[in-house]
Amino acid sequence: MVDAAQIATAERLAERSRRFGPPLLSVDHISLSFGGVKALRDISFDIRQHEIRAIIGPNGAGKTSMLNVINGFYHPQEGTITYKGRERRAMRPHQAAKQGIARTFQNVALFKGMSTLDNIMTGRLLKMRNVRAPETGIVGLDPLLRFGANAIDFALQALYWGPNQKEEARHRAFCEEIIDFLEIQAIRRTPVGKLPYGLQKRVELARALAMEPELLLLDEPMAGMNVEEKEDMCRFVLDVNDEFGTTIALIEHDMGVVMDISDRVVVLDYGRKLADGTPDEVRSDQAVIDAYLGVAH
Amino acid sequence: MLYREAGQFKTSYASDQALFPIRQDQVVVLLFLTFAVFVVPFIANQYILNTILVYFLVLALAAIGLNILTGYCGQLSLGSGGFMACGAFAAYKLTTGFPDMHIVVVFLLAGGITALVGVFFGIPSLRIKGFYLAVATLAAQFFLLWLFNRVPWFTNYSSSGTISAPPRALWGDQWYITGPQASPVTKYVFLVVFVGVLALVAKNLVRSRLGRSWMAIRDMDIAAEIIGIRPMVAKLSAFAVSSFFIGISGALWAFIYSGAVEALAFEVTRSFQVLFMIIIGGLGSILGSFLGALFIVILPIVLNNVLTAIDPSIDVGIIKHVEFMIFGALIVLFLIVEPHGLARLWQLAKEKLRLWPFPY
Amino acid sequence: MAANGSRTLAPRLALWVLLPLGIVAGLGLLLQWMTSQGIGFFDWYFYFEVLITGLLLGVQYSLVALGFVLIFKASGVFNFAQGSMVLFAALTFVGLLENGVHILLALPATLLVMWILAVLVERVVLRRLVNQEQIILFMATIGIFYLLEGGGQLIWGSQVRELNIGLPSGRIELFGGAILVQKFELVTAAIAGILVAVLAIFFNKTRIGRALRAVADDHQAALSVGIPLTSIWVIVWTVAGIVALVAGVTWGTSLGVQPTLALIALKALPVLILGGFTSIPGAIVGGLIIGAGEQVGEVFFGSLVGGAIQDWFAYMLAMVFLLFRPQGLFGERIIERV
Repeated sequence: MVDAAQIATAERLAERSRRFGPPLLSVDHISLSFGGVKALRDISFDIRQHEIRAIIGPNGAGKTSMLNVINGFYHPQEGTITYKGRERRAMRPHQAAKQGIARTFQNVALFKGMSTLDNIMTGRLLKMRNVRAPETGIVGLDPLLRFGANAIDFALQALYWGPNQKEEARHRAFCEEIIDFLEIQAIRRTPVGKLPYGLQKRVELARALAMEPELLLLDEPMAGMNVEEKEDMCRFVLDVNDEFGTTIALIEHDMGVVMDISDRVVVLDYGRKLADGTPDEVRSDQAVIDAYLGVAH
Repeated sequence: MLYREAGQFKTSYASDQALFPIRQDQVVVLLFLTFAVFVVPFIANQYILNTILVYFLVLALAAIGLNILTGYCGQLSLGSGGFMACGAFAAYKLTTGFPDMHIVVVFLLAGGITALVGVFFGIPSLRIKGFYLAVATLAAQFFLLWLFNRVPWFTNYSSSGTISAPPRALWGDQWYITGPQASPVTKYVFLVVFVGVLALVAKNLVRSRLGRSWMAIRDMDIAAEIIGIRPMVAKLSAFAVSSFFIGISGALWAFIYSGAVEALAFEVTRSFQVLFMIIIGGLGSILGSFLGALFIVILPIVLNNVLTAIDPSIDVGIIKHVEFMIFGALIVLFLIVEPHGLARLWQLAKEKLRLWPFPY
Repeated sequence: MAANGSRTLAPRLALWVLLPLGIVAGLGLLLQWMTSQGIGFFDWYFYFEVLITGLLLGVQYSLVALGFVLIFKASGVFNFAQGSMVLFAALTFVGLLENGVHILLALPATLLVMWILAVLVERVVLRRLVNQEQIILFMATIGIFYLLEGGGQLIWGSQVRELNIGLPSGRIELFGGAILVQKFELVTAAIAGILVAVLAIFFNKTRIGRALRAVADDHQAALSVGIPLTSIWVIVWTVAGIVALVAGVTWGTSLGVQPTLALIALKALPVLILGGFTSIPGAIVGGLIIGAGEQVGEVFFGSLVGGAIQDWFAYMLAMVFLLFRPQGLFGERIIERV
C-alpha cells in the first residue's frame, strides 16, 4: 500500500534529484583498523553534489571513523577516496579544509577560550588574506613570492590599521551574516565554554559554515537537543543545502530527522555497509531492520 | 555611573573591533600615557626610575613574549632566560662588530636572531606537548647558557665572561641610552616609547588572524587543523614572535638596565620569574603581562621595606627566604582564587565600575 | 593486543638485553677509534668504571624521578615541588640529628613531618583545585616549591651540612684494581632497587594502587565511584615524601645537605622524559640511561668541547629520544579522540 506521505516524499525526492550533480565524494573499498580492531571493512559509497546523505547505524558501527577518514584524521589501510575528481588514500585535515571540507564533531570541538564571534572568525582563516602572491608558474619563483607575501601579510597584521583592519571588517561582516542566519546574535561575545550544549552545537555549525565549504560533514548535530531545537537545526541544515548548495553528509540517530531531510542513506554496522539507498528503501530493508531499526510495536 | 557605555554606538565593524572601544577607556589610556611620558620623568627620582621603572619595562616585554607563546598559543616554555641571553649576546656582538649601526636597529636585529633560535628550539613542539615540551625548552635554556658561558667568542674573549654595553646614543651625540653618559630619564622615556610600540605590535598580532590561530592551537589543536590551520606554522610562528620579544628584552636588560651582564643573569631562575609574571598577571593577556611584571618588581621592594621596618637588623638571607615563601603562597593563592590572574581581576573591577555606585 | 604478548616475550627480552649491550660496545669501539686518531683518551677498564659510576649515579636520579612518577601517576599532577621536598626532608632529618636526636627517632620523626606536609598540601592546595587543568596544578606545585624552599631554610638555615648516618664509604676493587666502585653508590642502588620493587607491587597489585590509578585518570570520575580523593592524595604525597626522604639522605650524604639539592629535581626531568611520566620501571631505566650517558658524555666528549656539558647533555639526550618516542620508553601513548 502506497500512502500519501510516501507519494509526497517520492515527489520531493524526484524534484530534488534533478538538482543533484555528479558524485562529489566517493569512497571505494575503505578498510580501517586500529591494532586488532577493524573499524571499517570494505566500505564503498558516494555522495552526489548538492545532496544530503545520512550515515546511520548502531553505536560503534564506524560512522565517526568514516567521517574521520574523509576528513583526513584517520588514514585507511586500504581503499581510496575520490574528492572532486582527485583520487587519494590519505590527506591531512588542513588539506581537507583547503579543499572545501568542513566538519562538526560529536563532542563539540570548539575553542573554549574564545568567544562565539572569535570562533566563527577562525573559520574564515583560510579565506582571509591581506596579500596574495601571484602565481607565476616559474619554478623556484613561486615559493619566494609566497614567502614575500607572507612576510608583508605578517607586517600588515602587526600594524593592524590599514589593509588589515579592512580585511577584518569585511570578514566580520560575513560572519555576522552567518550569525544572523543561525540566530545566535545574543551570544556573540560570550566565551563558548559558558554556553549550553545546544548553542555550542549551533556555534560549531556556524564555524563550519564560515569556511564556505562544498562538503559539510555533520557528526550528530542534533544530539542532546529537544524537539524544538531539532526542528531549528533541521531547518538550518535544509536552508544551508538550499541556499548555498552545500553537499551535506550527516551522522544522525534520530530516524525521524533522517527520513525527513536526507536524500539518500548509508547504513553501517560493525564496520560493514548494510544498505545504501533512499530513506524508504533503507527503512524497509530487512537487514537494517534486524540490526538497527527494529519493528514498530 | 561614570563607566557607562550607554549612548556609545558603533556604526562600523572596524570601530567595534577597536582596541579601546569605550570612550572612557580611551580617555584614561591617553591620560595615563601622557602622564607616563611627560610627567613621571620629572617627579620620579633616580632610584625609582632606574631600579623600578626601567626594570619593570624590560621585564614586561619579556612577559609579553612569553605570554604569546604560553598564554596565547599554549606552549609551555621554561627557556625564557636562555632566549633573553641570546638577545643580549646577539646585540653585544652586533654592536661591537658594527659600531655605527643604530642601537634600535641593533635591538631589533638581536630580536630577529633570537627569533630564528626560537624557531629552532621550537621544532620539538611539533611532536611533543605539555610538560614534555616544557622539559625540552629547559634543554634549550641549559644549552644556551652553557654556550654563552663557555664559548669565548660571544664575550669577545673577555676574561671575566661579562659583556658591557658600549655607550650608544639615539641621535648622533645626544640622548645616550647606554653607557655611563646615559641618564635615567632618557633611558626611561626611550623604554616607555619602545616597549609601548612593541606592546602595541603584540596586541595587534594577537587580535588578528595569527593570534586567533595561536589561540585555536592552544584550545584544541586537533580541531584547529580542520579549520585549515597548519599546526607547524602556528606553533613555530608563536615561537618566533615570542622569542623576538624575549630576545629584545634580554638585549634591553644587558644594555639599558644592567649595563654589564654575564650569562648567569639569565639562568633558569629568570625563566621562572618570567613565567610567574604571566601566571600572576594573567595568561593570554597583554595587560596581564604588564601587571604581572609590575607585581614581581614591586613585591620584593615592599617586602624588604616592611620586614626592615619591623626589624631593622634582620638578616638579608632571612628576607630572601620569607620572600620565597610569600611568593609561593601568593602563586598558590592566585591559582585558587583567580586562575586568570590580575588581568581578570582588573576586568571584574571594570564590570563593577559599570554599575557603581549601585551594587548590582 | 596484549594477549599475544607472551609469544613475543622472548624476542622482546632479547632486544632489551642485546640492544643496550650493543650500544655500550659500539660506543666503546667508537671511543677507541677516536683515541687511535689522536682525539682524547680511552681505556676499556676506565670506560667500564665510568659506565658503572654513571649507572649508580643514575639510580640516584631515579630516586628523585620516582617521586615525580608517583604523584603524576596517582594524582595527575606534575609535582614541581619534588626537589624542594627532597631538600626539606633532608634538612629536617639533618636538623633533628644535629640537635641531638637519635637516628632511630629522627627517621620516624621526619616521616611524620612529611606526612603532615602531605596533609597540608592536600587540604590547602589540592582540595581547592580539584579537576582544574593540569597546567594550573603544575603551577600550584611551583608555588609549593618556593614555599618549601623558603620555609625549610627559614627553619633550619641554609648552610651546607654534612650528613653521615653510617652508610659505608670506601671502595671496592674489581678486576684486580682496574675498576673501582664506590661502596656507597652500591648501597644506594640497592636501597633504590628495593624501594622501586615495593612501589611497583604496591601500584599494580593492591586495591589502593588501583584507586590511585583511577584518580590519576579522572578526578571527578573517581569521586563519583566513591574513591576518597582526599585520603588518596594524602597517601600519595606521603609516599612521595618518603621517597623524597630516601633521596634526600643519599644525595645529602654525597653532596652535603645544601639548598642546591632542590635543583637536583631538574636533573630528574630528563629521566622522566626518557622513561615516561607514568612509569615506575621507566624511572629506573631512564635514570640508568641518563646517568650512564651523562657520565660517559662528560668524561669522554665533554673535554673536547670545553667541559661542564653535564648541565645540558642529559636534556639533549632526552630530547633526541623524545623526537622518536614522544611518550618516553614506557609512558602511555596519549590518544586523542575527536
